[in-house]
Amino acid sequence: MMRDSRIRRLPVLLSALVALALAVLPLPAELESLRPDFLVVVVLYWSIESPRAGGLSLAFFAGLALDVINGVVLGQHALALTLISAWATHLRLRIRVFSMLTQCLTIFALLTAYQFVLFWIDGATGNPVTNFSRWLAPVIGALLWPLLGGVLGKLHER
Amino acid sequence: MVAFRNTDPSGRTTGLLLRCVLYSLLALGLIIVDKRYDRLGEIRRVLSVVAYPVQIAVASPFEGWDWFRESVTTRDALRADKARLESELRLAQFRLQRYAALESESERLRELRESTADVTDHFVIGKIMHLDLDAFRERVLVDKGARDGIYVGQAVLDAGGVFGQVARVGQLTSEVILVSDAAHAIPVQINRNGLRTIAVGTGDTSRLKLPYLPTSADAVVGDLVLTSGLGGGFPAGYPVGTIAEVRRDPSQSLADVEVKPAAALDSARELMFVWLKPRPDELPPLPPPKATAAAAKAAGGDEK
Repeated sequence: MMRDSRIRRLPVLLSALVALALAVLPLPAELESLRPDFLVVVVLYWSIESPRAGGLSLAFFAGLALDVINGVVLGQHALALTLISAWATHLRLRIRVFSMLTQCLTIFALLTAYQFVLFWIDGATGNPVTNFSRWLAPVIGALLWPLLGGVLGKLHER
Repeated sequence: MVAFRNTDPSGRTTGLLLRCVLYSLLALGLIIVDKRYDRLGEIRRVLSVVAYPVQIAVASPFEGWDWFRESVTTRDALRADKARLESELRLAQFRLQRYAALESESERLRELRESTADVTDHFVIGKIMHLDLDAFRERVLVDKGARDGIYVGQAVLDAGGVFGQVARVGQLTSEVILVSDAAHAIPVQINRNGLRTIAVGTGDTSRLKLPYLPTSADAVVGDLVLTSGLGGGFPAGYPVGTIAEVRRDPSQSLADVEVKPAAALDSARELMFVWLKPRPDELPPLPPPKATAAAAKAAGGDEK
């Protein structure tokens, strides 16, 4: 496939790096379970906005980075991110014309699917997390979507 | 409204399904190989070096702030600190006076019983990096790795007692699983009566459980719980915690015993990685590499 000069990869990489840093930024213990999956939201944004700038490769390698940094079984986040990124790419033309509320709901569904894949792999590899706070992250992520999406949009316009 | 500029007007995503399947299979393959065959240690070690800059970048502002706060402490604060440390040192030295005598006495007794002491030979000090790993697991990242001779399963202590053990080793960093992690268990002994059992983490840094004590077991609130040294992972005789609560339900066969950890699991900054002294009759499971001895000597030198 020819390289399209209109596709700029720098903002994609930059935002992914910042999101990766935010994913491990130390927070007070009370806030820790409220941390949204920043990198996942960023990957979703680029999957919807410009699948050819990052796409599934971005999703896979971002997931691998999360696996290494979080120290979980290698491939867990990579699998989850690849699957929901593909789903978001498939839905992207529809998501773009959705109202804000519908967009947030769609993002919530995608983030929940992401957590579900993680949950499943945790269980399948024998380290189940019996803790309900993990299901909070999708809610926070969906609530933050207008803000994060707006910031990424601004970054993209420049 | 999230503004999409649609830089991808063709909207083509050729072979999305194919690529999705390929990447998913790749990820699944990684999971299976990592879980089943444990052959990815080297790959992970290399990847952890790649992740190191990100970890440093995130952690350094916090370390910078700590440094700044330390450098602007007032003279009064320093004097107060000095007075406190001096009094602590006096107390410690006072206690130490008896230690040499007690140690030789214990050595004699052990000789009588023809068992060898598993006292720790040398150790390396590591600093906890300011990073949050998985929010649902009790783990910390420490700035010492395979380069310093750290190995998987190594015992980790802090000033108060047993902190945890090494779960994963990178080239420059290692991951320590806390004794309070729900997936962690450690063989222990109640100091007062020598009762042996296992302390299991709860996922809460302020308590551990002793789930395998029968209702009739002699466990009293305030009892000191020590490592028993069984299993060989941990050196014997280090404090794990004190019993904080004992609930006995006559209809159950096991008592519900909670232990308050001795180590400052949520506030420690510096950790000790210890090596067990190799016993004469058996080699340690993982002989420390040459670098280890040098590093430990350096660390030991710092301490003296």
